[in-house]
Amino acid sequence: MSGSDYSGSEYSGSDDEYVGPRGGGSNAAAARRMVEAQQQQAKKAERKAQAWERRRDDSSEEEEYVPTFEEVEDTDVPEKSIQQMEEERKRKRLRKDTKPFQRGIIRHVVLVLDLSEAMLEKDMRPTRFHAMIQYAQEYVREFFEQNPISQMSVLGMHDGLCLRVSELSGNPADHITAIQGLRTPKNPQDFSKEPKGSPSLQNALELARATLYHTPSHGTREVIIVFGSLLSLDPGDIHQTIKDCVRDRVRVSVIGMSARLKICTEIVSRTNAGDESEYVVATDQELLRELLLATTTPPVVRTSKSAQAVASPESAAALMMMGFPSRVVEDTPTMCACHGILTTGGYTCSRCSTKVCSLPITCPSCQLTLLLSTHLARSYHHLFPLRNWAEVHWQRAREKGTKACLACLTPFPEPPPPDDTHREKDTNGHGVNGGMNRFVEQAQMDWDESGEQKASESSRYECRACESHFCIDCDMFCHIVLHNCPGCLSKADPPDRRTGEEMEITP
Amino acid sequence: MSASSFQALDYLEQLPVQTHRKLYEQPSTVLAIFRCMLPHLAKSIVMALLYMPSSFPAADLDAWFRAESSQTKRNALSILEKLHIIVSKQDDERKPHYELYMSFASSLRQALEGSGSHRSFGVPSHKSEERRVSVEFLDKYSQRQWENILFYLVGGTVGFRNPGGQDIGQGTKNLLHLAGFYNHSRITQDGFTFVLRDTNAQVWSLLVAYLRNAPQQRMSETDILNFLFMLGSLELGQDYSTATLSATQLQMLEDLAEFGIIYRPHKSASTFYPTRLAVTLTSDAGAFSQATTTASSLGGGATSKGFIIVETNYRIYAYTNSLLQIAILSLFTHMRTRFPNLVSGKITRKSIGKAISYGITSAQVIEYLETHAHPQMQKKKPFLPPTVMDQIRLWEYERERMETSQGFLMKGFGKVEDYKEYVQYAKDTGVLVWQNDKLRMFFIDSIEQVGAKIKRDMQRAAARA
Amino acid sequence: MNAIDASEHHERVDESVPPSLLAIVLDTNPHAWAHLSSTLPLATALANILVFINAHLASGNANSVAVIASHSNKSCFLYPTPAPSSPRPQPNATNGDVDMNGTTETTSYSVQDNPNKYRPFANVETAILNNFAKLMEGTKESHLEATPTTLIGGALSLALSFIAKATLLHSPSTSNSDEAMLAIADPEAIHTSYVSLASRILIVSVSGDLANQYIPVMNSIFAAQRKRIPIDILKLAGDTVLLQQASDATGGVYMKPERPEGLLQYLMMAFLPDPTARKSLVMPSAGGVDFRAACFCHRKVVDIGYVCSVCLSIFCSHDLPDNLCLTCGSYLSLRAAQSNPPALIPRKKKKKKRAGADSATPGGSTPAGSNTPMHA
Repeated sequence: MSGSDYSGSEYSGSDDEYVGPRGGGSNAAAARRMVEAQQQQAKKAERKAQAWERRRDDSSEEEEYVPTFEEVEDTDVPEKSIQQMEEERKRKRLRKDTKPFQRGIIRHVVLVLDLSEAMLEKDMRPTRFHAMIQYAQEYVREFFEQNPISQMSVLGMHDGLCLRVSELSGNPADHITAIQGLRTPKNPQDFSKEPKGSPSLQNALELARATLYHTPSHGTREVIIVFGSLLSLDPGDIHQTIKDCVRDRVRVSVIGMSARLKICTEIVSRTNAGDESEYVVATDQELLRELLLATTTPPVVRTSKSAQAVASPESAAALMMMGFPSRVVEDTPTMCACHGILTTGGYTCSRCSTKVCSLPITCPSCQLTLLLSTHLARSYHHLFPLRNWAEVHWQRAREKGTKACLACLTPFPEPPPPDDTHREKDTNGHGVNGGMNRFVEQAQMDWDESGEQKASESSRYECRACESHFCIDCDMFCHIVLHNCPGCLSKADPPDRRTGEEMEITP
Repeated sequence: MSASSFQALDYLEQLPVQTHRKLYEQPSTVLAIFRCMLPHLAKSIVMALLYMPSSFPAADLDAWFRAESSQTKRNALSILEKLHIIVSKQDDERKPHYELYMSFASSLRQALEGSGSHRSFGVPSHKSEERRVSVEFLDKYSQRQWENILFYLVGGTVGFRNPGGQDIGQGTKNLLHLAGFYNHSRITQDGFTFVLRDTNAQVWSLLVAYLRNAPQQRMSETDILNFLFMLGSLELGQDYSTATLSATQLQMLEDLAEFGIIYRPHKSASTFYPTRLAVTLTSDAGAFSQATTTASSLGGGATSKGFIIVETNYRIYAYTNSLLQIAILSLFTHMRTRFPNLVSGKITRKSIGKAISYGITSAQVIEYLETHAHPQMQKKKPFLPPTVMDQIRLWEYERERMETSQGFLMKGFGKVEDYKEYVQYAKDTGVLVWQNDKLRMFFIDSIEQVGAKIKRDMQRAAARA
Repeated sequence: MNAIDASEHHERVDESVPPSLLAIVLDTNPHAWAHLSSTLPLATALANILVFINAHLASGNANSVAVIASHSNKSCFLYPTPAPSSPRPQPNATNGDVDMNGTTETTSYSVQDNPNKYRPFANVETAILNNFAKLMEGTKESHLEATPTTLIGGALSLALSFIAKATLLHSPSTSNSDEAMLAIADPEAIHTSYVSLASRILIVSVSGDLANQYIPVMNSIFAAQRKRIPIDILKLAGDTVLLQQASDATGGVYMKPERPEGLLQYLMMAFLPDPTARKSLVMPSAGGVDFRAACFCHRKVVDIGYVCSVCLSIFCSHDLPDNLCLTCGSYLSLRAAQSNPPALIPRKKKKKKRAGADSATPGGSTPAGSNTPMHA
């Protein structure tokens, strides 16, 4: 959960900056970005505290309150609050920062799985190892769904060594078979990969660094470690390795299973420019899954001083040559260059006419990235995210007079009669747009947006752009799956959300 | 398609062409048959043919279906042909073509477009709002009537009577008797099948019995069916005029009112209200499952969704205060405690044994528990704990240790060789059921071949001698 | 024994056909219909679609329908009637018929009394016709002048949200927020024994160019793909690759009839079978879909393009003015675009060897302790 929250990625050293507007410094949008960045820095202290608080209530709330069927059915009086609690629970998932940050769309990720004896613990069912293998497969699928033009490699920390489970590639099937192979080796000669011995973080980081070394500089280099042990048995000085990782712009995230470790905190904070929020500990199975899946969202791009020293700042953004091959249909099967299997039909490389059987892929003969335009389109929602919707107070609900969710037509509860003048005064200044001091409130709203998403007392959620009201389920659906606002798109002359955001990226 | 419509389909299929023709003149009937009786793919075929300007060549139809589903296609076509909905014709080049029967096609078109002046979807009576009967009242009424019938069936076996309910009419009793649900003043095995089904299926099985009985009562089957299908397309809470009904249909009103399928304010009223039992006749939804308004009345919480929780330790908890449901449950459970909204009990070997001795099968018990499983139970798949399901079946098998089969015992063979030869022959012809080498006996279920061989051998032996 | 039980149960579930929710997105773009008026006026098309809706409702008892108009200035629900006109009772998605009951208040009484019409059909028809008339009345000339296109992205988003909610209400686990959440995120992860709602979207499209809504429509397509909702396209006029891609990606039907006046037969034959029936039928598809990209600068279809690593814009040449991305303005280096592996740069080559040596050590079978990396 907090792993997905990139809002905390600014840290106290102010040499962090966004890459975007470096070229044309004098225009208004860039200036606005600067102001925004400053605002965020001003808020950083608060944010830190908040991130910590959040983590604490995450873990406690999860165990504390699980509404059961009977409770919802039988009790009448506290029903409202239970409904609100459920909505709050749902909205927790939304607590992503939806500001249009530049994100690393082309990712190079090394997933490091712990295969040490600590994974035989049975606190997850049936064992940590099995749970992790299962979630890792799900993770691979989801990762390539979200990041179709990214590359991944899987490593395993096993008995002091770091094994390469799968090579760096963009084909989810390869990784999934390899991960399955950990449990049931396909090749009988393969030695068992059942958890054994101690893990070595240093070896893992070194191998990951070597794997990521060749990757082009416009992509991200990320290492995601699933770590079940409480120790790391290293052959040398891990601090040196960490330094090397920092120099090579490798960002490490760790998902722990037992307890927080100082060394993990250090690895994460050093490689993420002082930000520790990438180190999270899964207290149970479900949380592990969520934390893993949270890392499928592309990270916010930043360049730190140390990285600038090595790579020139220009190299962070690049114009990539890509092939958009056309489909060929054949009657007789021919060999594909990528797997060497006989297939009928496939795609031919736009440059060298090599036949490959699936996309996206790097052409095995000329190294051109081959993909479909739809693959690129899959990443657009990271670049132009749908902003979080605001909670609606009763007063606002009355003002708008909405009776049903715009998207699914589920009726909203009727607002209570407006006799509660005291409360109204209170809410008036807070969440309701007077319309007069919009720009002043804009900053306030931005702040709200990245903050905690609470349940709305009127069960309505308002899109800030088109001022339509939605129910909690549509809120969830639109933000998690659809990434569109049905309200904004259903009006020809709304305050256009899309262009507004593009402008923020546009200098 | 639900189980309930299968019975009606069976009945419809065996009707002669003439009856079908007459039936298909009513758009409401055609629509109801289309909605409820046809298999899913058959609907697609009918719809594809409906607005087709020419007939549909069979070759094209084959091309339309995937190769692997030719079995389902044949199945759909055969039902359509049996119901006389489509006809296969040959064109000038002797190639087979499919066409819809004219009357069916035009009625279905009328139903979909809402055209024509057939008035088959019920003529609403214009009555001022306040004099109408409320939906709740109708639900209560129909539920009371229907539960009376069920109580009449199970009451005697369970040993307690419905305290609030009055006795059912003589006509209904006769009908239950004719349907084979009730015989010699006790419920039959078919009766248990009937009682343990969901309401919609119960209604249909009773109505099919009613239909079969119709010729004796000098009632026209076509009229009955038309009326039933029309009922299925009416709206709950609306009253309809009896002016357009035929003599048979007027006669039916009385019987249906007794079942709780329709409600009439008084016997000579010129209007009638369909109840929920009627309007759900041609839909899959369980009749009382939507009657949330009555949930607190007769059926308790039981009627809403499912209400039974079965644990792996064979305990049953049923959130109900409906006497009927408790009565049915107590047919196969050992009841322990009863609370205002909950009864609990346990499935035991004895209780299942008792149920089986009534003629209830394990499959019926399991189906009943499954249909009424609590929503919490329905999250799992299968709904019931497998151990409980298996055990119920095993308890049933326990009572079926002996299997009888009719046949012939062959004995008295003089020589071992003879015996062996005949046993072998019986085995080869596949008629051998049992053998005992020591006593030189064996049992066969058909005598023809073995008998012929014996005769042949004896003749040969006689000839040799 | 256990195995037998499972299979038996499975069969039982398979027999029943899941209820089907059909969301029709009707492109009511007046510009495009004006072109079609000689062959197929909008009123005729609407009448045909109403018959089609009735046929759909008749095909399954729990089938339900939603109709969304994608107009030139807004997209809105035609059926069910949105609330502002009349507050509706809580829709209960376990039974599609309730949707129909919901609109009885808005239907005019004359239709209610028609004994020649099946009541649910009449309700749907009246609601659609009333709302359609309202929509047309509300269209002003200024709206028409503003844009020649239609808001298909919004209509698709409405349809998808509506379906998502209906699916959620249909599944029994709504009381459990966790599972409901899972159902939103990934439908395949949930093991519900219920026959789930089989939904599909039919877009009756007449408008051509939809490029201005590329991102919203693509997002909708991916959402549909993820929720396994096929998007069927009936293209009466115009042509757009975007909708072809939609039907291809979601496994829907794509049809561009040569004779639009035979609309009803096309609808009945190709679009009526629901996902269950489609399993055993051969459905027309888009065939060869052009997935090649068009560049953002000249709208040329390209085989090899140059993609900005920041915003993923596609360009047809690498000669950008000042090397700035036309969309996001990032400074783009061309060096990386030449697809030379960084290993060929001499200074890095040395480094790479070292890194390579490092990487070889932990991966090999030598004991871990002896492999101290050689960093000073």
